[in-house]
Amino acid sequence: MLRSIESAAAKRMAATCFAWALAMSAGSAFAADAGDNATWKDGKHVYDKVCGYCHDDGRVGPELLGRQLPAAYAAAIVRHGFRAMPAFPASYIDDASLQKVGEFIATAPAPKK
Amino acid sequence: MSDKSAKGLLPQGVDRANFDQAIAKFRNLLGAENVLVEEQQLVPYQKVMMSTEDANHAPSAAVTATTVEQVQGVVKICNEHKIPIWTISTGRNFGYGSAAPVQRGQVILDLKKMNKILEVDPDLGTALVEPGVTYQQLYDYLQEHNYPLMLSFSAPSAIAGPLGNTMDRGVGYTPYGEHFMMQCGMEVVLANGDVYRTGMGGVEGNNAWQVFKWGYGPTLDGMFTQANYGICTKMGFWLMPKPPVMMPLEFQFPKETDIADIVEFIRPLRIAQIIPNSVVIAGTVWEAAAAGARRSDYIKEPGHTPESVLEQVRKDKNLGAWNVYACLYGTQEQVDVNFKIVDGAFKALGRGRLLTQKEAGNTQPFKYRSEMMMGIPNLQEFGLYNWRGGGGSMWFAPVSQARGSECDKQYALAKSILNKHGLDYAGEFIVGWRDMHHVIDVLYDRTNEEETRRADACFNELLDEFEKRGYAVYRVNTRFQDRVAQSYGTVKRKLEHTLKRALDPNNILAPGKSGIDLNNKF
Repeated sequence: MLRSIESAAAKRMAATCFAWALAMSAGSAFAADAGDNATWKDGKHVYDKVCGYCHDDGRVGPELLGRQLPAAYAAAIVRHGFRAMPAFPASYIDDASLQKVGEFIATAPAPKK
Repeated sequence: MSDKSAKGLLPQGVDRANFDQAIAKFRNLLGAENVLVEEQQLVPYQKVMMSTEDANHAPSAAVTATTVEQVQGVVKICNEHKIPIWTISTGRNFGYGSAAPVQRGQVILDLKKMNKILEVDPDLGTALVEPGVTYQQLYDYLQEHNYPLMLSFSAPSAIAGPLGNTMDRGVGYTPYGEHFMMQCGMEVVLANGDVYRTGMGGVEGNNAWQVFKWGYGPTLDGMFTQANYGICTKMGFWLMPKPPVMMPLEFQFPKETDIADIVEFIRPLRIAQIIPNSVVIAGTVWEAAAAGARRSDYIKEPGHTPESVLEQVRKDKNLGAWNVYACLYGTQEQVDVNFKIVDGAFKALGRGRLLTQKEAGNTQPFKYRSEMMMGIPNLQEFGLYNWRGGGGSMWFAPVSQARGSECDKQYALAKSILNKHGLDYAGEFIVGWRDMHHVIDVLYDRTNEEETRRADACFNELLDEFEKRGYAVYRVNTRFQDRVAQSYGTVKRKLEHTLKRALDPNNILAPGKSGIDLNNKF
């Protein structure tokens, strides 16, 4: 087993080069997506692309905006989930972005009806 | 639920010293911040919707990788210390096990951070992505670049991803709705560390990896889906050209007994591609819940919902007993011609009601159904979870022929078993091409232990009774994967374990996935 892993080194190098070439050929995609923390621009971005789909207008989950919910409360629900609300690990929403979306939810005004 | 804490948990058959050594190597390879062992860090991976304790699917650790080389490194360490790993992409497989491992103590290999859209070719209509790319991310990318292409996705579209969904052979609602059929080219890290590319991917300098599926000799892509023979780190797939006109249609039928005739009406149109998309025939509860109805709005008594109540729900939410969604695509001229054919067949059927955008406007569930058929992400279908509340959901998904008599039989059987256990039929038939994915959400209140036990008994009985009649599911949650493997016969299981021994002799890749585990006797 070990031997076969070692003997794959050359192939791995080839794979790396190929991946690098692909990255260069799709430069704009990489720039947009590079780095895990670059995934989320700010708290509103997380809200719009994840939370809002269910929570806007209370269409599936409860309305969150305009209720001054503490950021720590939102963070706890995101990490633990709650009943049907799924849990999101740090790989999906990193700690800094979670803090930002918590602050966004805590301070955003109630949506105009 | 009893307290079986994940603290100090070890993978099966791994002692503390070996585990600690492996964790130290993971930290060295990935950085300490990408090796999660604290209970607080692991909590999000343990949230499941199945009729079993969270603890039965608790991981001992989770590691996150960002490159193929890191995945190779993880595999090497796992071989050295016989550590079983459970790989996830976005971990949004709700009702099928979510992000949690099939066996307690497995280490999660989380690839969400591998989130690069490597290539989209607007001329050929192809994409190549990493595991952590979500449909939302890809949708935004297409919009930003103004590419005339559209996506096909399952209902958790915005937050799930194409690689994971396709690897689990999930389906969507557009003409490209059979997602694995549209897959073209995979990169897989094997248990021995090799990086294998399917199709044309192994040919030096070749650029047809995303356009020609078969390559040369054995075509092995399917072997890696719903399986544990490798870790998919890149996937290519085809994207449908966005047509100038899309015309969503809904046909409502008032009676449960209409199902057989509905299927006979739809099948010829679907097989001939007059209606090219994965048509859906959805029952009352599914559509009502997606439109915001809760069972508790109508009835407080436990048990299954009586027919009289369902009839009231239909009236209030303007639904049929069956609600059929189809979409026509093309130029205005093409859509007009196909609509004339479809409308003619519908009128010949002599019952039901046809709704278009004009009649339905922005009402639910027509709106979200239309969006899914047009490749626009939304999460409206999560309304299903509010029907009973309490976070319990398990998909029971038997396959059938696209034949009226078969669907009638499956529907009656499923409903009687669900009702016997005090649960409702929340189901839909998704017309593949010649098959039906009969997808039923076994919804229950997971905060209620008694109801959870009933849901568990119900799911077991569904599997048993369908099997007796020659039916089996195409996919199942991690609690029942070994049970479902039994339905498909011993010869298949022996072959699968022969392959496992050859490709992964240390049994490190997701043992137990689809019932494949070298600790089994096969």
